[in-house]
Amino acid sequence: MTPPPAGREGRRRQLAPYAFIAPFYVLYGLFMIVPIAAGVYLSMTEWVGLGTPEFVGLDNFANLARDTSFHKALGNSLIFVLISLLVVVPAALLIAQALNTRGLRARDLFRVTFFIPMVLSPIVIALVYSLLLDRDYGLVNSVLRALFGTGTTDWLGDPTLAKVSVGFVLLWRWVGYLTIFFLAALQAVPRERYEAAEIDGAGPWRTFTAVTLPGIRPVTAFVVVTSFIGASQLFDEPFLITGGGPGEETLTVAMFVYRAAFDRQQFGYAAAAGVVLFVVVFAISQLLNRLLSIGRTS
Amino acid sequence: MSAATPAPPAAAPAARPAPDRKGNRPRRRGSRSGRVALYLTLSVLLLVFVAPMVWAVSGSFKPRGDIFEYPPNLIPSPATLENFGNLLSGQPFWRWFAISVTTALLATAVAVFVCALAGFAFAKYRFAGKRVLFSVMFSSLSVPFAVILVPLFVLVVKSGLSNPWFALIVPWVAPAFGIFMMQQYIIQSIPDEILEAARIDGASEFGIFLRVVLPLLRPPLGALAVWQFLQSYNSFLWPLVLISDTDSYTLPLGLNILFRAENRSFDLVLPGAVLASVPTILVFLLLRKQLLEGLSAGAVKG
Repeated sequence: MTPPPAGREGRRRQLAPYAFIAPFYVLYGLFMIVPIAAGVYLSMTEWVGLGTPEFVGLDNFANLARDTSFHKALGNSLIFVLISLLVVVPAALLIAQALNTRGLRARDLFRVTFFIPMVLSPIVIALVYSLLLDRDYGLVNSVLRALFGTGTTDWLGDPTLAKVSVGFVLLWRWVGYLTIFFLAALQAVPRERYEAAEIDGAGPWRTFTAVTLPGIRPVTAFVVVTSFIGASQLFDEPFLITGGGPGEETLTVAMFVYRAAFDRQQFGYAAAAGVVLFVVVFAISQLLNRLLSIGRTS
Repeated sequence: MSAATPAPPAAAPAARPAPDRKGNRPRRRGSRSGRVALYLTLSVLLLVFVAPMVWAVSGSFKPRGDIFEYPPNLIPSPATLENFGNLLSGQPFWRWFAISVTTALLATAVAVFVCALAGFAFAKYRFAGKRVLFSVMFSSLSVPFAVILVPLFVLVVKSGLSNPWFALIVPWVAPAFGIFMMQQYIIQSIPDEILEAARIDGASEFGIFLRVVLPLLRPPLGALAVWQFLQSYNSFLWPLVLISDTDSYTLPLGLNILFRAENRSFDLVLPGAVLASVPTILVFLLLRKQLLEGLSAGAVKG
C-alpha cells in the first residue's frame, strides 16, 4: 500500500475505497440499520399493523417480563444454545479429530457426506424427520418395536423427548458444517508440536489439551460464536417439526416473535421481544468475541 | 494454512520409514484394532447421516400405502413414478421452483458483487474511518434475523416493495461474512505490485477491480456464491411472512402447505422434497472443493 500521489489522480484514488464500500453500506443501512432502529421504535408502541402505532413507552417490556410464554421461549432457546455448544460443537471436534487421523482413507467421502444435510432445505429435513419420528407409523418406532417390543415412544409429543428430537436434528444438520472448520484447523497445527509433545512423553489427553486445543483456538472461537448466534435465533426446525409443541416445550424466541406479530398482530410486542433478543445476543457475542479475541486483525 | 494445502503432505512420506515415532495423534497409536474401531465408528455415523435421505428417496418411488412399510424396502417394489407425476401435474411445483431458483440467483449475483467490491476496498486501501466501518460491518454478524423480521416486514410492505421478486432477495444482498471472506482472501493472495503495475499502465481504480482483481477472486467468489445460493434457496421464515399468495410461493412454502394439508400428502411431499434437493446437492457436489475450502480458509486465517 503505497501512499497515493498528490493531485487529481491521488484524489480519485482516495475516494475510490468509499465508492467501493458504498453499495454495501447503502444496502446495509436500508436492510439492517433502518430495521433495527424501526424495531426499537416499534418496541415502544402498541400497533396491530394498521393505523398509527401508539406510543406506550416501556410497557411492552414490562409485559414481556411477566409473560410466561416469553420466559418459556427464552428458556427453550437457552437449552438449544446449550445443546449446540455442549453437544454439537464437541461432536464436530471429535469427528474432525477422527477424520484427521493420518492415512485415513475416504476422508473426502466422509467430509462431503457429513456436510450434505447442511445443503438441504429445512422443510425437507423437517418433513423427513417428522415422518421418521411419528409415534404411530414412524420408522424409528417400527425399528424399536421390532427390536425391543417397545415402540410407542412419543418422540415429538413428550416435553423432554421433543427437545431431544429437535436437538438431534440440529446435530444432524450442523455437525458436518462445523467439522469442516475444525478439520481445516487441525490440519494447520504444525506437526513439530505433536512430535515435541511426544518426546516430552505427553499422553493423548495431555497432547490434546497442550497442543491441539491451543493450536485450534481461533477456529474454536469462531465456531463457538457462530453456533451461539445460530442457535439463539432457531426457528425453522422447531416450527416445522413440532410447531413449538407439545404445549410450548420447543417454543423459541424467534418463534415467539413470529407468533406475536403474524398470528396475533401484536407488532409492537413482537418488536419488543426482538429487541430483548438483540440485546442479549449482541452483548453475549461481543463478550465472547472479546474473551476469545475474534476479528482482531492479525 | 493456505487453502491449497490439505492432507497429502502428511499422508505420503509418513507411511513407511518410522511408523512408531510418528504416532503423534492418539487415534493412530491403537494400530490395527484402533483403526478398525475408527472406520467402524465413522461408517456407523455415515449410516446415521445417510439413512434418512435414502429412506426419503426410496419412499418417493413407492405407492402411498408402502411408504411406511416395515421393514423398509430400500429398493421400492413396485417402484412407481406416479407420485412425481401427481406432484408435477396437480401442484404448481415448477412455478415454485422457478421463483426459488430465480430469486436465489438474483440475491447471489448482487451479494457476490457487493462483497467483492467492499472486500477489495477493505483489503487494499487506506482510508479514514476504515477501522470503524469494518467493525460496524463485522458486528452485524451478531444480529439475529428474528430481530429485524418484524420491522423489515413493515418497511417492505409499507414502502410498496412487497413485490416478491424484489423483497425475497432483500435479506441476502449484503452479507458481512462475504466481505470478510473476500478481504481475507485478497490480503493473502493478491500482492500490491499487481495493482501498482495496473496503475502505471493507466487503469482506473474501478478498472483495476474489474480487470485485475475480480478474475483472481474466482475461488472465494465460487464459495460465496454457493453459500449465498443455499441460504436464499433454502430460506423459510422470510418467505413465510412475506408471501400470502400461493402463486408466488417459494419451494419450501409450497412443500410446507402440502405437508400441512388435511390428509398429509406424503406421496406428494416426499417426491417434492427429493426434487427440491436436487439443485442444491448438485451445486454442492460440483463445487464442493471450492465451498469447503473457501468456508474454512476464512476462519482459519481470520
